[in-house]
Amino acid sequence: MFAALEFPPIDNLVKWPAYFGEGQFYEFNKIALISLLAVIIPTILFLMAKRDLVPSGVQNLVEGTVEFVEKQVILSAIGPQGLKYTPLLLSIFLFVFFGNIFEVIPTFHMPANARMANPVVLAVVAWVTFIGVGIKSQGFGGFMKSSLFPPGVPKALMPLVSLIEFISTFLLRPFGLAVRLFANMLAGHILLVTFGVLCITLWQVGPLAAILPFSFAMLVGLTGFEVMVSLIQAFVFSLLTAVYISLSMSAHH
Amino acid sequence: MLGIILAVEATEQSNPILPTVPELFWGALSFAALYLLVTFVLLPPVKKTMNDRADRIRADLDAADAARASAGSAAGEVHDQLADVRAEAGSVVDAARAEAEAERAQIIGAAEAEVATLRADADAEIQAARTEALAGVRPQVAELAANAAGRVIGRDLDVTTTQSVVDRFLDSPN
Repeated sequence: MFAALEFPPIDNLVKWPAYFGEGQFYEFNKIALISLLAVIIPTILFLMAKRDLVPSGVQNLVEGTVEFVEKQVILSAIGPQGLKYTPLLLSIFLFVFFGNIFEVIPTFHMPANARMANPVVLAVVAWVTFIGVGIKSQGFGGFMKSSLFPPGVPKALMPLVSLIEFISTFLLRPFGLAVRLFANMLAGHILLVTFGVLCITLWQVGPLAAILPFSFAMLVGLTGFEVMVSLIQAFVFSLLTAVYISLSMSAHH
Repeated sequence: MLGIILAVEATEQSNPILPTVPELFWGALSFAALYLLVTFVLLPPVKKTMNDRADRIRADLDAADAARASAGSAAGEVHDQLADVRAEAGSVVDAARAEAEAERAQIIGAAEAEVATLRADADAEIQAARTEALAGVRPQVAELAANAAGRVIGRDLDVTTTQSVVDRFLDSPN
């Protein structure tokens, strides 16, 4: 009976065929489509939002999102001087969230961020931003000094500490941002696919349908969980970017 | 049905973790587009609406504070005026009370004087009546006293003499 439970190879979960341009640099597949939708959907929502003094409906949603990013991300991590980064951090938040949420949308069932490309793009944006902010705020020498030479470290240990600080600040920060988002979304995607395959297979096998309700309940529960993970990952990515920007703005951290 | 959640079978084995160039291209293009849209098209009107609302609320709160302060000063004026009116009413009541007291004392004094006059008149009338009554009974008393004394001593007494004795007796204080 369990012979019917054949889990597909990992490539079948994350690699998608080209809709057009196969083999070209502009090859368009489901991930590219979701990336475009992550631009189109927030654009439509923002354009639909009215400009009423008393907000309602979509305006509430849009203003609530902007206010959430301003208060929970920017003001909590950087302070009022960070409000000039609202467009960037709001863009990151929206792009990550709408890239994630397609994991639970029927016919898509795939988060764009379960592929490494979008997290890498966003991590590079965050990396360039916090380095640029650091150089602008402290000058190149000052930023390098505050990043690589922490105060209070004995001179004998300084080469080792500087090497660790360099790896931590300039390599691990973007790497951590990208891998955290990618790994969370890929893990969630694999979980959902696992229970989805289980439900479908059990449904077809028949005799095992007795335990189908349990697997189906898990699938429903995990779907709700992944909605929450989509939101949390968007929040975490934008918050960490804001924290890195904040650290670059001050001389010593 | 599995086709909904699974990609079409991969044609070649590749690393599922490493990003592909097309996905990087579309990801970068999409994010750049979203960032530019948010910066120049989507966010400014939303922020303007939010700022206008905040300004409106702030202005309304300031107006409410001003109205509250104005109402407070008006209430103070009313309170002061009320205190003045109360003080004035108190002085009017005190004056009226004093005037009434004086009038009452005057009326009582006049009544007491009138009562004293009436009493004196009544005493004088009583005294006159008494005197008159005594004057009326003196001859009979003298005659009775002379008859009684004559019977006691066995001879007739002079009424005139007896009259003078009776008069002295009646005029004496005891």
